[in-house]
Amino acid sequence: MRNEISLTAYKCKKCGKLHYPFHDRCLECRGRDFEKVGPQGNAKLLTYTAIYNLPWGFDQRFLIIGVAEFQNHVKAMGQIKAESVDQLKLGMTVKPSWEPIRVQQGEDVYGLKFEPL
Amino acid sequence: MRDVAILGVGMIPFGRRDEDTLMDMLASASLKALDDAGLGDKSVDAVYVANMGGGMLQHQSSIASSLVDRLSLLPAAAETIENGPASGASAVKNGVLAIASGYYDTVLVTGGEKMREVTGWRATDFVATMTHPQAEYPYGITLPGMAGMFTRLYMEKHGVTREHLLAISLKNQEMGTRNPYAHVEMALDRGGIFDSPHAVVNNPVSADPLHLYDLCPVSDGAAALVLCSVEMAQKRGKPYVVIAGFGQATDTHTLAEREDPTDLKAVTLAAQKAFAMAKLKPSDVSVAELHDAFTILEIAESEHVGFFKKGEGGKAAAAGKTRLGGQIPINLSGGLKARGHPVGATGVAQMVDIVWQLRHELPENRQVKNAEIGLTVNFGGFGNNVLCFVLRRVEP
Repeated sequence: MRNEISLTAYKCKKCGKLHYPFHDRCLECRGRDFEKVGPQGNAKLLTYTAIYNLPWGFDQRFLIIGVAEFQNHVKAMGQIKAESVDQLKLGMTVKPSWEPIRVQQGEDVYGLKFEPL
Repeated sequence: MRDVAILGVGMIPFGRRDEDTLMDMLASASLKALDDAGLGDKSVDAVYVANMGGGMLQHQSSIASSLVDRLSLLPAAAETIENGPASGASAVKNGVLAIASGYYDTVLVTGGEKMREVTGWRATDFVATMTHPQAEYPYGITLPGMAGMFTRLYMEKHGVTREHLLAISLKNQEMGTRNPYAHVEMALDRGGIFDSPHAVVNNPVSADPLHLYDLCPVSDGAAALVLCSVEMAQKRGKPYVVIAGFGQATDTHTLAEREDPTDLKAVTLAAQKAFAMAKLKPSDVSVAELHDAFTILEIAESEHVGFFKKGEGGKAAAAGKTRLGGQIPINLSGGLKARGHPVGATGVAQMVDIVWQLRHELPENRQVKNAEIGLTVNFGGFGNNVLCFVLRRVEP
């Protein structure tokens, strides 16, 4: 299993605005040069939901998904390792990891998972 | 730029239409609009078809070329316009620009979608393809899931409650029982879906905190309208409807990149542009069709277009201010919640319903008395591409 978080955010070299995912031009100043930045530390849970009507490709009863902000302000979506939304609250700290999030054409697809702390 | 009128409209009942192909539905709605426009056997200069999923769901492309052939409108120009769930209003906008420029004199705009011939599993995946292909889609996010995350934040920031969401479900499904074109013609009982022990079973959580009856159905359907110059509409000698103003705006693809995810900037900007062009304000509107794919969106859009202050939309709905006879009647068609949401058809269907309102052609239990100004909001993605139209009744 891969453990390193393979997610890249992009900091505008002109104005400093942080982007994830990639944009060809800065959303603030339209600058085209970016410094690659990795997410750092734990994250703060900004919002979340439990989805019970899942799309094709997910053979499970439900899925909990949320958006979290890392300590260096990178914001990203991830699956949440919880049994119920009752274990979650807005603003709580979650620990990120890089794990299989789905299977496509027989291959594991890796992505962010967040574990409530 | 010359002013643009809506010469004719048509719609077929939304729902599960196993007997029809996508092309059958598009052709039926188009013929109704052409007949309503009084064009007889005359052709039109161009046809714009709004459709999001023909390629994915029906394995069919070049849909507009096929429609002009089916309708014997050759050699009219034909284009298919795909802009997610805002495809309908996008197609109308392009038709309006074409007439306004003077290049075309008559344009048929038809929106349609056939979503029920695949499983719910597939349909949910199809709609989810509009999310970001790397940062969102792989995680299994769905549009109801996006709405669930948005609702949680909106409740936290603006005090919306499940009681407020319930008011939208009850109102729109009640209006659906009065609309022969609605997919869902079943009124809801408060106890049955909210505060009785049975509610847990009848109205389960779908995308927390949203429940089943906070979501629109997956539908088949089509709607159409014919656009022309005001001079042409004037010659018919009866009341007609003009495009008084329109606006379109976009926002970031991912919800996470918005500074305040509860701020639907594209809705605000699109509405401001539409009102400025029409030289009107929100309080001038007699009736509105908002994009209530989820109950929270009717509340949020009613605030973002300027009908209510932030935090007041839910309370206004619960107080009956958005019902027929209220301060600003919203979604008297039943909205997406009850009329249904065949994604490519919705933006056109909203305008068809407003045209019927402004021509004063609806039965008393749906008609806003003396309606003069109507507004539509067609919401693409999760608010990343939004169109707003202001329509006005004109006496000949």
